[in-house]
Amino acid sequence: MSETRFNRREVLQIGFAATVALAVPTEAPAELQETPALKNDVGTGNLPKVEERVPEEPAVAELETIGTPGGELRMLMGGPKDTRMMVVYSYARLVGYTPSLKFAPDILKSIEIEDNRVFTLHLRKGHKWSDGQPFTTEDFRYWFEDVAQNKHLSPSGLPISMLPQGEGPRFEVLSEAAVRYTWARPNPLFLPDLAGPSPLFIYRPSHYLKQFHEKYADKKVLDGLVTQAKQRNWAAYHNKLDAMYRDDNPDLPSLEPWILKTRPPADRFIFERNPYYYRIDKQGNQLPYIDRVILSIADSKIIPAKTGAGESDLQARYLRFDNYTFLKASEDRNHYKVRLWRTGPGSQLALYPNLNVNDDVWRGLVRDLRFRRALSLAVNRHEINQVIYFGLAIEGQNTLLPQSPLYDPRHRSAWAQFDTREANRLLDLVGLAKGSDGIRQLPDGRPAEIVVENSGESTEQSDVLELIRDSWRRVGIKLFAKPSQLTLFRRRVFSGEALMSIDKGIENGLATPAMSPWEFAPTTQQQLEWPKWGQYYETKGAAGEPPGLPSAIRLLQLYEEWLAAGTEEAHTRVWHDMLQIWADEVFSIGTVAGVLQPVVVNDKLRNVPEQGIYNWDPGAYFGIYKPDGFWFDLSEASAKSASATISPPGPR
Amino acid sequence: MLSYIVHRILIMIPTLIAISIVIFTIINLPPGDYFTTYIAELQSSGEAADLAKINFLKAEYGFDRPLWEQYIFWAGGLLHGDMGYSFAYNLPVNQVVGDRLLMTFIVSLSTILFTYIVAFPIGVYSATHQYSWSDHLLTLLGFLGLATPSFLLALVLLYLANVYFGISIGGLMDPKYVDQPWTFDKVVSVAAHLWIPVVVIGTAGTASMIRRLRANLLDELQKQYVVTARAKGLHPLKLLFKYPLRMALNPFISDIGSLLPHVISGAAIVSVVMSLPTTGPMLLDALRSQDMYLAGSFLMFMAFLTVIGVFVSDLALAVLDPRIRLQAGRRE
Repeated sequence: MSETRFNRREVLQIGFAATVALAVPTEAPAELQETPALKNDVGTGNLPKVEERVPEEPAVAELETIGTPGGELRMLMGGPKDTRMMVVYSYARLVGYTPSLKFAPDILKSIEIEDNRVFTLHLRKGHKWSDGQPFTTEDFRYWFEDVAQNKHLSPSGLPISMLPQGEGPRFEVLSEAAVRYTWARPNPLFLPDLAGPSPLFIYRPSHYLKQFHEKYADKKVLDGLVTQAKQRNWAAYHNKLDAMYRDDNPDLPSLEPWILKTRPPADRFIFERNPYYYRIDKQGNQLPYIDRVILSIADSKIIPAKTGAGESDLQARYLRFDNYTFLKASEDRNHYKVRLWRTGPGSQLALYPNLNVNDDVWRGLVRDLRFRRALSLAVNRHEINQVIYFGLAIEGQNTLLPQSPLYDPRHRSAWAQFDTREANRLLDLVGLAKGSDGIRQLPDGRPAEIVVENSGESTEQSDVLELIRDSWRRVGIKLFAKPSQLTLFRRRVFSGEALMSIDKGIENGLATPAMSPWEFAPTTQQQLEWPKWGQYYETKGAAGEPPGLPSAIRLLQLYEEWLAAGTEEAHTRVWHDMLQIWADEVFSIGTVAGVLQPVVVNDKLRNVPEQGIYNWDPGAYFGIYKPDGFWFDLSEASAKSASATISPPGPR
Repeated sequence: MLSYIVHRILIMIPTLIAISIVIFTIINLPPGDYFTTYIAELQSSGEAADLAKINFLKAEYGFDRPLWEQYIFWAGGLLHGDMGYSFAYNLPVNQVVGDRLLMTFIVSLSTILFTYIVAFPIGVYSATHQYSWSDHLLTLLGFLGLATPSFLLALVLLYLANVYFGISIGGLMDPKYVDQPWTFDKVVSVAAHLWIPVVVIGTAGTASMIRRLRANLLDELQKQYVVTARAKGLHPLKLLFKYPLRMALNPFISDIGSLLPHVISGAAIVSVVMSLPTTGPMLLDALRSQDMYLAGSFLMFMAFLTVIGVFVSDLALAVLDPRIRLQAGRRE
């Protein structure tokens, strides 16, 4: 401990700009209050007192209103695999994003970062797992040495985000409560991955999992367990039980606010409060406020109807904007409110010309910058916004959103105005002459007919395509929509059979310089505009094709630069360069963004923001707003007014 | 008779082997496997999948081996009662199917009873009162029942039941009883929810049963023995139940064959729409996500029941109708 303290002081004295110490100031909280729901267990001695359960240095939550503990939160999910959403929503992370998208230690007491290279993590003293066992640096060591580097458990070794330029970190246990990871080069992926919705878990409940690890367990006992569970070997069994993200093992100790109590398979999953949770409010109540969370599984298509019938207290998953009117209609009858949150993708739907299409003539055309720009100019975004999204969306290209610190309005509006004359001029320049029927002809005499493929998941895509078809017709391009099935659709794009596809735009429209710009460079096969180039990068050249356009090569170079850079200025500069190229090149044709997401909130549920961002990464959907601080106001007066009580009289 | 039974049982073995090959082939026909579907699904919701881990899983479950080897592995397991492993649920198939079978059984049995209770009297009535206005009315209703898409009816009834009776949408019981032990309240809750799927699934079946019973009975009613019995002054009701109605029943006995698997599989589409905890939606999901052992083993189970069902219905027919037994005996 003393060693790290010395470090911090030294850091401050030198005034190293590149060194950051992230710590949330802790003020002395009020006396701890016992949770009503746990009083019984404490009385009978089944549980220790709250003072012994909460860490000596708990995290004190900043909440809009101080709540009263109790109640049950009901939510609907589409399948048993959705239990993982509890890990996403709960958002208990070593380091997490605040609602303003800054990093802040959460499970950790503090973290020190030197040059994005040396990360020193400090745990909270007295922090315990949900079964009451201490949470220590041994849990970090167990994962790093016995899980991540065990070739049976993790055949591919350390996760990518811990391998900048292919090199792993040096790992040191400094004390019971401090560990350090040291890389030779900057590793800008480490913090965003720790704070991700599906986070990098670099610790494990070692006292539990050691029972199933070859190195620690008695071989005979372990073999017996493995056979009993019908698993192939101990590693498969260990991996099945080690479900930190899947969250389908009720025996696995956890740090989450709510712990799974139901053993799958089931159609209703019950999560109960973690009596050892590390967060408290300013009046000394241990969080979470809500005692139980209940996930009911229903078919995803019936979830809007069930939500409208008042069967969920907090629901956004599986609700779509076109459910809004239906949900709004039964607001009063079923005592909830529908709020509209912004979504995070760079474009609700974007068209992706496939630069790797097999057809030679078409490939030449879609790689022609003028052709892509012309197609973009011929999309009437205002019309799409008015007709399909009631004019509530933001029109423009598939790029970052205004909430992002890197946002530049010129990027959003580049080649996004509706201008058929300019589009026609560009297409004439490309050399596509109009035939007698007004449809342009390809150099080999075929008519310019573009088949836009989609996954057929929603009618929204077909509706948007219908509108684009009309406006493209005016510049002599014929559009056909071809809905298929998700897997098949992706396969056709990957193999180059599909010429153009329509799908969600870039995932993270809220990026900050510290977040990876991977979506703007050919980095994975999943990118519909250049699947083969992405595959080439992903497989390190084993499959796919090397990028064939100078601008794409440049984007990839910039991405590598971002990975190697250690400072915020360098990251910002790379981001701006990439966004500029992305805007000039129109690799994807955006439509509208920031489409609203209906969020249904029970009238009695407090601390859920009126306006929020509903996004996967960053955001973890509700996670960034910390649902452990949501509470049910069951008092009479509150039932009427939505502006909640300020604070209950202090118990003393 | 005995050798006939043995003969039939022996024939079942190659039949089941052929079915298993067909099932396995069809499940493997679409490109890709469970893991590619899974990756695509994760991607579409913005989550990234760990490629290395997925390749590891593929090797672990033998997806990299040739198809015939995978088939032998699966079929061999079936012989030992091991139905394989469900990737989607991360559990052995037996455990996944378990609870759902009971609920499916309840729904299907109630539906069959509902169908019989409604269709029988109406069928008999409209046959004996052919071309009366009441026959026309019932026929019209029957055709309406046949023609209404059941999923639409399901949606309408769900909405009305929720708005007027406060019954929770979808499912077979109030959410608070799910996965709880059986109590009186839970039974009441199930009964309150059960009528909608029963009516919806039963409507089409009822309509077609009315039509069939009517047609069969009309055939018989024209025959000479009926005229003779009537001429001899037998009471019309006794006559009806003693002779022509029994003759008209044969097709229903032979229906048992298809009834047995139906009881287990339930009506998939309606179950999906109504989010019933039955096996239908599970099978559909398994097929869509290519969770091949879950889908394959369950289909195999249904095929097995069909084969048994057909066998039982043949035996029952032979027992009930002397003419059929004679022909069967003569073949020996």
